Amino acid sequence: MAAVHGDVHDHGHDDHHPTGISRWLTTTNHKDIGTMYLWFSLAMFFTGGFLAMGIRAELFQPGIQILEPELFNSFTTLHGLIMVFGAIMPAFVGFANWQVPMMIGAPDMAFARMNLWSFWLLPIAATLLVSSFFVPGGAAAGGWTFYPPLSTQGGLGVDMMIFAVHILGASSIMGAINIITTILNMRAPGMKLMDMPLFVWTWLITAYLLVLVMPVLAGTVTMLLTDRHFGTSFFNAAGGGDPVLFQHIFWFFGHPEVYIMILPSFGIVSEVIPTFSRKPLFGYSSMVYATASIAILSCVVWAHHMFTAGMPTVAQLFFMYATMLIAVPTGVKVFNWTATMWQGAMSFETPMLFAIGFIFLFVIGGFSGVICAIVPIDIQVQDTYYVIAHFHYVLVSGSLFALFAGAYYWIPKWTGRMYDEKLGKLHFWLSMIFFNLTFFVQHFLGLAGMPRRIPDYALQFADFNMISSIGAFGFGLSQVLFVYIMIKTIRSGEKAPEKPWDGATTLEWTHLPTPAPYHSFEKPPVFKPTVH
Amino acid sequence: MTNNNKSGASVFQVAKAVISAFMGIRKKSDLENDAANLTPAQVIIGGIIGAILFVVTILFIVNIIVD
Repeated sequence: MAAVHGDVHDHGHDDHHPTGISRWLTTTNHKDIGTMYLWFSLAMFFTGGFLAMGIRAELFQPGIQILEPELFNSFTTLHGLIMVFGAIMPAFVGFANWQVPMMIGAPDMAFARMNLWSFWLLPIAATLLVSSFFVPGGAAAGGWTFYPPLSTQGGLGVDMMIFAVHILGASSIMGAINIITTILNMRAPGMKLMDMPLFVWTWLITAYLLVLVMPVLAGTVTMLLTDRHFGTSFFNAAGGGDPVLFQHIFWFFGHPEVYIMILPSFGIVSEVIPTFSRKPLFGYSSMVYATASIAILSCVVWAHHMFTAGMPTVAQLFFMYATMLIAVPTGVKVFNWTATMWQGAMSFETPMLFAIGFIFLFVIGGFSGVICAIVPIDIQVQDTYYVIAHFHYVLVSGSLFALFAGAYYWIPKWTGRMYDEKLGKLHFWLSMIFFNLTFFVQHFLGLAGMPRRIPDYALQFADFNMISSIGAFGFGLSQVLFVYIMIKTIRSGEKAPEKPWDGATTLEWTHLPTPAPYHSFEKPPVFKPTVH
Repeated sequence: MTNNNKSGASVFQVAKAVISAFMGIRKKSDLENDAANLTPAQVIIGGIIGAILFVVTILFIVNIIVD
């Protein structure tokens, strides 16, 4: 995308910064903050993963063995909330912190102190969420979507969850404003918007979506809070309110949220695939347009999450058609990735394996999404394991696999050390096999009618549940291997070459040494666009 | 960073750019043409009008089907 122009700058002269704990408490460096985001999200990934293991252990066989039903409900609720708001979203912000300034030739994020503030809000919110398990009444148990009346009935745990969501929302909005300002104002001279790497583009659009919908979520949970404690009846039918109103407002946030979690994945995959195919991305402008188009369409499809909540036929058909049409720009992306690989000099290092795994499994998740979009089918599969299978194909083999691809791809740039390729590939194949073992069978469970969010189930679901649980334990253990690989890389990995990926063309690979210096691009690089 | 010498494009050209953006497909020569002529304000207004038209069109089709 960018031609090398000019020499690598001398960056070694002012790498002085505080050491020890004060470095992390006071840093305004985008790389330090990015690192903290990534470690935080990894910790949350394992917290949410622990809850998932609890869920699958309980569902290993019929009957109640480990978790009381109320605690089981708290596990499913907090698993969802922690994975969405604590693991996936902060991980992408961590990538943005590390990569966006380096990819556009900026010295740091636009608002460095606000950047630190938006990070340190996260552990506070996470503490609220996790500690809510230990307050009277336990953690929120009404599902991660916290529909009323369940969420207006719970105890202190629900209030802690509401407060945590407020804080997380504030953090996301600040992060998004920071990213937008950085991208629009701090690009290297000569870099036009249509010269930006796809990862930067997808984050720019994602950041706009965040600014658009996070205040809606904040408003929703505030209404919930006033319903709970201040005598309002927004969602209480007895007081003239409407619980379905909550669903509409929540999903007006919730559906764009799905794209907030997948668009940066598209960006990472759009960097990895061309690098390991040694070809420029096919249809760069189409990719940008398709991303923008998906973002706009994502705001007019929300009610497909609530076809069974009751709405006029006209509305059902509208949301069904709009949802099916969103598959068009998404399909354009899949074709573009495939066309990028076509006749490329491909190699299959771990980032590429995860990127290809992403395409393969995300397409399955996409297709089951189109199936769920069809109203008569959705009425059958609503709240069954089919839906669980669908969105885990999108969020685990979609977002998470893309995060793994990005971590393996950029870890040499971040640390100056190479990961163990054999172990990386082992991690990929274990994740691939156990992921499918866990979630593919859940399609069958859903089609057979097994409802979600239940701790016990009828005997006919026993075999597939056992298979799914075995897969889940394997998948969970495979992720311990990821942590081992990353720590091994950081502590004792082989020294990475200056440019480990010969096909990489973005500024962080062409204009910066490996590892990236603490302060990069203090003088903006001279950027020369080339043909996409 | 931004090109302030844009002449602005015709409504037809904006419409074509927006429609192809909604599809997610754009020919390279057309893109270069867009980049040379379209102003950000034109693209944003065009996009909003496009989104409204998209919603109205589906509503129209749905109403025909239901009636």
